[in-house]
Amino acid sequence: MHSPLLALALASYLLATAAFVGHIFTESQSLRRSAHGLLSLALALHAAAMATRVLLLGYEAITPFQEELSFIACVMVGLYLLTALRANLTVVGALVTPLAFLFSLSAYLFEAGTPETPHRMASIWLPAHFVPAFVGYAVFAVAFCFSLTYLVQEKQLKSKRKSTMFRRFPSLETLDNLNYRFVSWGFGLFTIGLITGSLLAREVWGALWSWEPVQVWSAITWLLYAALLHARTVGWRGRKAATLTIVSFVVLVASFVGVSLVFPGKHGGSLG
Amino acid sequence: MQREVLIVGVNHHRATVDVREQVAFTNGAFEDALRELVTLPPIDEGAILETCNRVEVVAATGDGDAAVEALSHFLVARNNGGQRELDQHLSVYRGRDGVRHLFRVAASLDSMVVGEPQILGQLKDFYGRAASVGSAGTILHRCFHRSFSVAKRVRTETGIATRAVSVSSAAVELACKIFDRLEDKTAMLIGAGTMSELAARHLLAQGVRSVIVANRTFDRAVELARDLQGTPIPFDDLSRYLHMADVVIGSTSADSYVLSSAQMVDVLRQRKYRPLFLIDLGVPRNFDPHINDIDNVYLYDIDDLAGVADTNRDERQREAAKAETIIEAEVDGFCRWLSNLDAVPTIVALRDRLESIRRGELEKTLASLQELPPRDREALEAMTQAIVNKILHTPITLLKQQDRALETFYIAAARQLFGLEEPDDS
Repeated sequence: MHSPLLALALASYLLATAAFVGHIFTESQSLRRSAHGLLSLALALHAAAMATRVLLLGYEAITPFQEELSFIACVMVGLYLLTALRANLTVVGALVTPLAFLFSLSAYLFEAGTPETPHRMASIWLPAHFVPAFVGYAVFAVAFCFSLTYLVQEKQLKSKRKSTMFRRFPSLETLDNLNYRFVSWGFGLFTIGLITGSLLAREVWGALWSWEPVQVWSAITWLLYAALLHARTVGWRGRKAATLTIVSFVVLVASFVGVSLVFPGKHGGSLG
Repeated sequence: MQREVLIVGVNHHRATVDVREQVAFTNGAFEDALRELVTLPPIDEGAILETCNRVEVVAATGDGDAAVEALSHFLVARNNGGQRELDQHLSVYRGRDGVRHLFRVAASLDSMVVGEPQILGQLKDFYGRAASVGSAGTILHRCFHRSFSVAKRVRTETGIATRAVSVSSAAVELACKIFDRLEDKTAMLIGAGTMSELAARHLLAQGVRSVIVANRTFDRAVELARDLQGTPIPFDDLSRYLHMADVVIGSTSADSYVLSSAQMVDVLRQRKYRPLFLIDLGVPRNFDPHINDIDNVYLYDIDDLAGVADTNRDERQREAAKAETIIEAEVDGFCRWLSNLDAVPTIVALRDRLESIRRGELEKTLASLQELPPRDREALEAMTQAIVNKILHTPITLLKQQDRALETFYIAAARQLFGLEEPDDS
């Protein structure tokens, strides 16, 4: 059954995207306010849709792939809205919002009736695993948007060819600082997710590590982000850091989508 | 008798600053001038705007031709009687043009530097003075208040005010797109030229924390550093200080590069690759253009900055077109309100309004009293008619005032009290 709340949330995401794009091209402040209003509304509807689902089906409802995307979209939008209170980040909003829309759309289109609960995973480690891991993914997703914005703005400044949107871009330093902060937080959460995931694996599968595709790819992603944070300490700022953030996120998404769909493995068809 | 908003005065379009000065009202005489203004027979309401770009009288009148005459005399009287001289410099805006002119002034479209933000504050101040003297009345109250909201719309709906159109403000704009905040940044001047001093002052005004000045003639460095409350350094020590600066402005007349690419790679390492903004104002150029290829370094020369300023000027032109559209719509709204501000149509509208209420209520009542004999129906008809006429008597008498300012006031009030306004006028 498709959730009408989720459908409304999707519509609001779409309208918010249009308002963001409109603001970036026309500089209209009322469009900027509408974009943020619509995005907050979308978030509220989306969170309500998820809460209803969890209330109806129990917290296992969050396990299937689609629900995970939905959860990540909510956290992303929440993080963006909080950050946008302190800095003018509408360009980033114009990236985060359609991304959240796509995530939620896939949740909507593939919404399963009753999830097939991987009962063997019913453990207290389950939420302790997926909450930090998924919040971590959402943080990385926003960091990815900061990095994309950074690269575009850096290109405009270097080439001295400004687009009409130039003025709505945040400063390079703002983006770089936010990127660093988000990657650090994401890394911490991701690490916690990996540790609790291993403990969960020991409880369910009997071993902390079993060369399972999701485990392997998560470890690779973890190493990439670790390398990124280390590189910062030796002066990999700005463009290089942004590029590596983008690469790491692409690997993360590839492992999330690819592994879940191509090699379902023991994770029960999901990265959860 | 059609009311109109009229503006007569001298402004930067047709009068040079020495003409504008002669007409200017001295501070003490300003309030007296306002009082004198409304004693002129054709002038119902008046206000005076006086900025460095203009001395203009804004008036509401029922007789435009006479008012233009009277206001010209009024201004000439300031100008030590040089009637002929002043006439050719006077700008007159009547009717729609008058309203439009006030809106454009408020929105800073008529300023010498389009989009400058001070004008709105000044306008509010001059309106406040006219309101406190009592020379502004119903029409000007509304016209000024509309102009303030037009200014706000233009500011929020277009980007007219956010364009840096000089080379040094373009430099500041770029600095703000590179750095998160300027408050913890240091600027360095290499060469103490006028251009670099101007750019440094702009940066300081935007919050840059400190300035280092290097110049071949050390005395000049000391002098400029004192002006800017910065630190002078000997030119030969330049490389020892370079890593401290986040913004470096070069304006020496050296004929070879003062900063080389290899040197900057080194400086960047010392800075732990924190971003660096180089502004090359020198001709020939002071900084090796290849420096721009280094990561986290942004090098702009004088042509690049001029290019930024030019693009901004073009964009501002486009934004101005958007602003004019907003203003045109607002002028329409105001003029519609103004054209309804006449006794005869107001009285007609007022009668129609009460008559339709009377009719509606009467029909409702008669519908539930089907068996009422015709005689009683006529009595009811006559009674309701009488009530309406009694209610209308005083308002209509008051609407036909001799005093035009008072009449305007009553008309505007009646239109509002009895809901005769068009929806988008309120």
